[in-house]
Amino acid sequence: MASQYVFPAAVAARIFLCFTSLPEYLKYDQQLSTPLTSHLRLQEGIFLYKHDIDPYAGGTLRHSPLFLSLFTTLLPTSRLPCSVLWTLCDFAAAYSLVRIWRARQRVSSSSRDSLIASLYLLNPYLALPSLALSTATFDNLSVLLALMFASEGRTSLALLVTATATQLSIPSALIVLPVMLLLLTDPVSHLAVPRIFPVKLSRAIPLATEYLAYSVALMLACTTLVGSWRWIPETWGASIMLPDLTPNPGLWWYFFTEMFDHFRSFFLMVFSIHLVIYIMPVCIKFQHDPLYAAFILLGVLGTFKAYLSLADPGLFLSMFAIFPEVHPYLRHPIVTALLHLHAAPLLPLFHHLWLSEGTGNANFYYASTLVLGLANGAGLLDAVWAGLRTAIGDVEPKYEVVQE
Amino acid sequence: MTPCAFRLTKCLLALGLFSLASTSASASSGPGQGHAAPIQARETFDESLTLRPLPDGRVSAAFEFKTVVRGARPREPGSLGRAREEGDVSQHYALFPLELGQILRAHAVAELHLGLRAGKWDYDAWGAPGAWTTADPSPEPHAGVGAGAAGAATGAELYAWMGDAGGGEGEGGVSIDDRWTGLRSALAGLFCASLESLDERRTCAPADAFPPSGTLPPLASQYRPRSNASGSSIGAGGGGYYELRHALQPAEHVCTENLTPFVRLLPCKAAAGLGRLLNPQKLFGADWHGLGVHVRWVAPGGGGGEGGVELVLAAQGVFDPVRLSGSYRSRDWSFQRLFDRLVEARCPVARSSRVYVELPQDVAYSVVPEPTKVEGAVAMYDLLAENAERVDVSLRYLLEKQFQYPTARPPSLSPLTVRRALHGTSQAHGALAVSVTNNLDTPVRVGYLETLPALVTLWLHTLTVTLDGDARPRNDLLTDLTYQPPLPHGAHTGPSVLQAALAIPPRATLRLSVDMGKAFLRYTEHQPDAMRGWDLPGAVFFPLALDDKSYGAGLASAKNSNETAVATTIGYRIHTPNLLVDLATPDFSMPYNVIILSCTLITLIFGSVFNMLTRRWVLVDMDEGLDVE
Repeated sequence: MASQYVFPAAVAARIFLCFTSLPEYLKYDQQLSTPLTSHLRLQEGIFLYKHDIDPYAGGTLRHSPLFLSLFTTLLPTSRLPCSVLWTLCDFAAAYSLVRIWRARQRVSSSSRDSLIASLYLLNPYLALPSLALSTATFDNLSVLLALMFASEGRTSLALLVTATATQLSIPSALIVLPVMLLLLTDPVSHLAVPRIFPVKLSRAIPLATEYLAYSVALMLACTTLVGSWRWIPETWGASIMLPDLTPNPGLWWYFFTEMFDHFRSFFLMVFSIHLVIYIMPVCIKFQHDPLYAAFILLGVLGTFKAYLSLADPGLFLSMFAIFPEVHPYLRHPIVTALLHLHAAPLLPLFHHLWLSEGTGNANFYYASTLVLGLANGAGLLDAVWAGLRTAIGDVEPKYEVVQE
Repeated sequence: MTPCAFRLTKCLLALGLFSLASTSASASSGPGQGHAAPIQARETFDESLTLRPLPDGRVSAAFEFKTVVRGARPREPGSLGRAREEGDVSQHYALFPLELGQILRAHAVAELHLGLRAGKWDYDAWGAPGAWTTADPSPEPHAGVGAGAAGAATGAELYAWMGDAGGGEGEGGVSIDDRWTGLRSALAGLFCASLESLDERRTCAPADAFPPSGTLPPLASQYRPRSNASGSSIGAGGGGYYELRHALQPAEHVCTENLTPFVRLLPCKAAAGLGRLLNPQKLFGADWHGLGVHVRWVAPGGGGGEGGVELVLAAQGVFDPVRLSGSYRSRDWSFQRLFDRLVEARCPVARSSRVYVELPQDVAYSVVPEPTKVEGAVAMYDLLAENAERVDVSLRYLLEKQFQYPTARPPSLSPLTVRRALHGTSQAHGALAVSVTNNLDTPVRVGYLETLPALVTLWLHTLTVTLDGDARPRNDLLTDLTYQPPLPHGAHTGPSVLQAALAIPPRATLRLSVDMGKAFLRYTEHQPDAMRGWDLPGAVFFPLALDDKSYGAGLASAKNSNETAVATTIGYRIHTPNLLVDLATPDFSMPYNVIILSCTLITLIFGSVFNMLTRRWVLVDMDEGLDVE
């Protein structure tokens, strides 16, 4: 079978790419890494840190102090070892996705494993940021690890990794509630047979306490490392206050570039609350399948995150692979796919026309981010629709299934 | 000229307000301390004009108007918060401009340097800015400001040394930053310059590059000492300390409205003496022109005699007589040709009034009228001794019909040749490249300073130093690196300050390259005519104090390593020209459209998701109608 060669081929291709000079061309690319995930800024922060200059003083470094400590001690900073490390992280993330799939299916291995792994590894939205050494790769890995441990019922590890994911990137806090619900129930698909949440919610209190304890411990560790609380406004605060208006494929940057000064704080509040407002409704509606709720919320993040890079929608799209039961019911899969096919070449093209060639202006790139936003939104709507529609099942051709 | 005129009106308004304030201030000043010496004897005024032919046919004309208030001292900063009667001495000046004196005393400024300059100073062809090519402050009395203080930074440059007695605001003192703000506003009003834009986004304290050119008076010691770890201040005994504030607005357009208040500060204005030659039509038509205000304190004893507060008003222009002569293409010059004016009468209050002319070498020339004295290659006219009227000094090259521009580049008059450029075509990132050539036969050790506004961020980890086109990095030649990252937004904004010491082997070229990111600004943060780009201030190369310890192995492997070459430093600051950085601009007409389009997309997705989450599912029988599931 051809499928058994896909995985080794993916491995070979990914390893080969990281030894080419491709990363040199991608490191400045603003679709692949944002100010919060750029490897360039991380290296600058490490340089400043090593020269006894507070890296959080000047808006240069917006990475978590965890990255700073790891890369100044254990992990390499030069290009080639970094490329290898990032590729290894991608493999670990792909493996976690496979483990989540196995836990959902309650099997120890399946024929679909290599397909799922290669859908993660060969997803260009994920492979390119990884080649550009964007730390979004680590963010995605920590999210998938958290979901994996939660699916396998390893409470403390899951909560610890979730706390780490939140520490690395504060918007990941959206999946904290689904992870806890997942720990209380099981990852098995209940989409076809919805049920009331089977466990008393009071049992989540110790989980929440444990999560908070890990988070506080990590916060204190970071503060000790840096020596002050200054990292909080620079890292977490950046996702809320949007101090750096560097273009990215998301919806925030141009909105707040063009925002009237006296409305800025109001709309910052609206945009931040808008992200959080999805958590409860999605978790209530998908209380029978918290893993699916986490998937939907990752789709929300991949559309509306403050500093969006292509790795965020990439994670959401690759996760479609572990929910084959919804595939027949996707609402407009062709439209979504075409929108993505449309947005993917437009983004780098218009970015280049605006910033390098000077033949286009900012509106060109803004328009292509709108197309990507539409594509991500359509994917999200597909997922929500299909997740709910699965419960109806197949109907006779003379019936049409609609919402009232 | 419309913006010029508009600024002029604004400045006139400011001046009007200011003169109102100053009238009330002088009216309310108490009896004060009596003056032991008669005013005339206490203050002296010397003026000089130095004309220097340059190898490229141009002529540098440097005016210096020096007023000294002997025995005076800058105000004690500790007295700032106190009531007026005990706060400060009353101010009575005969020659020193009162409006400047009031500003200096109101903010207790110990040393002040203001430069309003335009054009690119060509160090290689013209040597050091200021009156003389030699960098050393000449013992001659006319050398009021050394070339070091003269500077040639393009735009409006202001720096001041201010003392803090260590008391802080709690004890009645006014903080240095508050006084800096006040000083900027007051000088902006006085000189009609946009010094208000020299705010905290451009202000820094590179004390090594801009040391005091005079002496900083010791401060009274009634306050508790303050521990001071930063290198940007100089202790002044008794717990007080001095701090520098420096800011440069590279985009300042120097114009007539700056010269008019400048001339007003002269005792004889433009009516008599050398000030007569300050013709705005000609000065601002020069290839390079600069106005400078330099105030410093000279300590009693030593070379300064009795000491006192010294004010030097300096004006310099680099004129091109070849261009002014039209089709004659002659580099002969005269007052009439350069300034379109003559010295009509002598300034009666001047102690000395002299014109120095550097005479050309190896060429036949005639200089009229006959100089009072010729010393070496310098002719001197004493306008007071001659009691001359309608003086028109002129210099003619006798055997030269047309000036031939030198075909070969003459040897550089500057110890260093500096080039600085921005590389890269992207509006998102670029690279700053600096090349420094040592023109001397000895190794040179020099300080390097970049003060860049937060529009650009240097990625310091990409800093590489190479020597003479050799690809191997030689980062060991760059030492003592200090860096202050830029602070873009929020409560604390400030420029990035990069300072380092460079060691350059003899006759070698050092190349520095560092990548940088360009900022994306909010649409309200862009200046008018945003597509033009932003001016970045030039880099500064400044003399370093040489000690053998810090000058170490940097040059061990340099060319002449077998010779024990003694390192030198440069004698004056070298400013590179400004750079223009191209920042990405949003579409300024789009705010409403963007708000509408983005909000539509967000509400579309939000609405659809919540629709799906809340509505019931139904089966529709396509033949009959609704059938609820």
